Amino acid sequence: MTDYFIYTLISGAFVAVASGLIGSFLVLKKMTLMSDALSHVALPGIALGVIFKFEPIIGGLIFLFLSILLIWRIENKTKLATESITGVLFVTALAIGSILISETDLLEAFFGSVENISSIQLLIQTIIALGIIGIVAKNFKSLMLVSIAPDLTYSEKIARTKLELLLLVLIALTISIGIGFVGVLLMSALSIIPAVTARNLSRNLKMYVWWSMCIATISLLGGIIVSYFTRSINPGVATVFISTFFFLISLFRMRK
Amino acid sequence: MEQKDTKQVLKVENLSLIIDEKKILTDISFEIKPEEVLAIIGPNGSGKSMLLKTLVGINIPTSGTITWAPETKVGYLPQRFQVDHYLPMTIEEFLSLKKNPKYSLSEVFSLIKIEKGWRKKNLAHLSSGQLQKILLAWAILDKPEILLFDEPMENVDIAGQESIYRLLHELQETLHVALIIVSHDLNLVYRYADQVLCLNQKMLCYGAPYEALTEQKIKELFDTHTLFHHTH
Repeated sequence: MTDYFIYTLISGAFVAVASGLIGSFLVLKKMTLMSDALSHVALPGIALGVIFKFEPIIGGLIFLFLSILLIWRIENKTKLATESITGVLFVTALAIGSILISETDLLEAFFGSVENISSIQLLIQTIIALGIIGIVAKNFKSLMLVSIAPDLTYSEKIARTKLELLLLVLIALTISIGIGFVGVLLMSALSIIPAVTARNLSRNLKMYVWWSMCIATISLLGGIIVSYFTRSINPGVATVFISTFFFLISLFRMRK
Repeated sequence: MEQKDTKQVLKVENLSLIIDEKKILTDISFEIKPEEVLAIIGPNGSGKSMLLKTLVGINIPTSGTITWAPETKVGYLPQRFQVDHYLPMTIEEFLSLKKNPKYSLSEVFSLIKIEKGWRKKNLAHLSSGQLQKILLAWAILDKPEILLFDEPMENVDIAGQESIYRLLHELQETLHVALIIVSHDLNLVYRYADQVLCLNQKMLCYGAPYEALTEQKIKELFDTHTLFHHTH
């Protein structure tokens, strides 16, 4: 095990904690499909990064931010169904990205990689992950309320639309730091599966959020390790299998 | 409370609401003073719930003004509050999401008359009547000046509904809050309300119940089938 691999694991742990944390809100707010689709939109950004030799994570971030602004505007200013718009938009983005990217890079962009992540990306990922965790910790109550009972935010004088934008920003950030490891297609393995699993296992909110972060961390670190030693399985694929394994176990332990 | 006895908690002037070119509310004006109880009655689809939602800011009025007294805290109980069946959240955790609570949980529990053992109960396991009590606990946690209660139309049994009204009435007296109740039950109006507002998109009556609510108005409001029934 090299030092670099240790750094990769440390960065992975922070990324996973942030993903599990954000995932726990996504599941309660029923935004899982939206966030899954949203992750695809990063592909053209990653492609541009590869082509023009800048950090792919930056390209991904830019595209993600443009899309959430679009979603937010559509949701607040028009009567169009967000779901259909996002559906069209994200599939198109995926198609554009696939043309731009070479075939070998495409596989990694889709399913993630361990070796291709630069030290700068590891650093950026870790910093963003810490930022996400910090912002959520600071706004936990309001974010939770807007996720489970949006109507109650009004009488609390909580600005609902701003909070929903904040949540979208956090989702975009989470996707941007996760796709390096697990790829644009399998991002939900890192945020949605752990949270859904945690919900099956938990009696209360505290348990739920902790379980979600733990399962995400074990799954991603497991995925990275499997990929590193086999050299043939992408980390995203391994992460999906591990988190799905936890999900299946949780079905037997489901609390009513 | 003493200093603003003459001032209104809420003043609504010429409020109209149009959604998708449909007139939901037209030219509504009323006001509420501290500790007053206003009942808003009207048939289904008359805009009662929409009026409350506009008061709390969920709907933006098309025209007219809504003026709250400065620093007014509003407790709002929506008509429908559904909890996902698998929501992993205890009552205690839900109530702890409230910002700036003025009461402790045990104080609120005794005000709402629920047992301390409920703390660890899961929100998803409550009946809709129980859930409504928890919502009421939520609404009074920060000591609001006014409570807005939107009567649920479904899933709540008559006995449960009766007890929630009794509870609201008691709270109104012990906490000195003003109260807006949206209801279709006329008995309630005569028993608890200081003012009544009959709504059917427009204001059909407004004033003290026995003066404003004439037999004629009731007929007009509910068409032919009146909901007025003597149970006591």
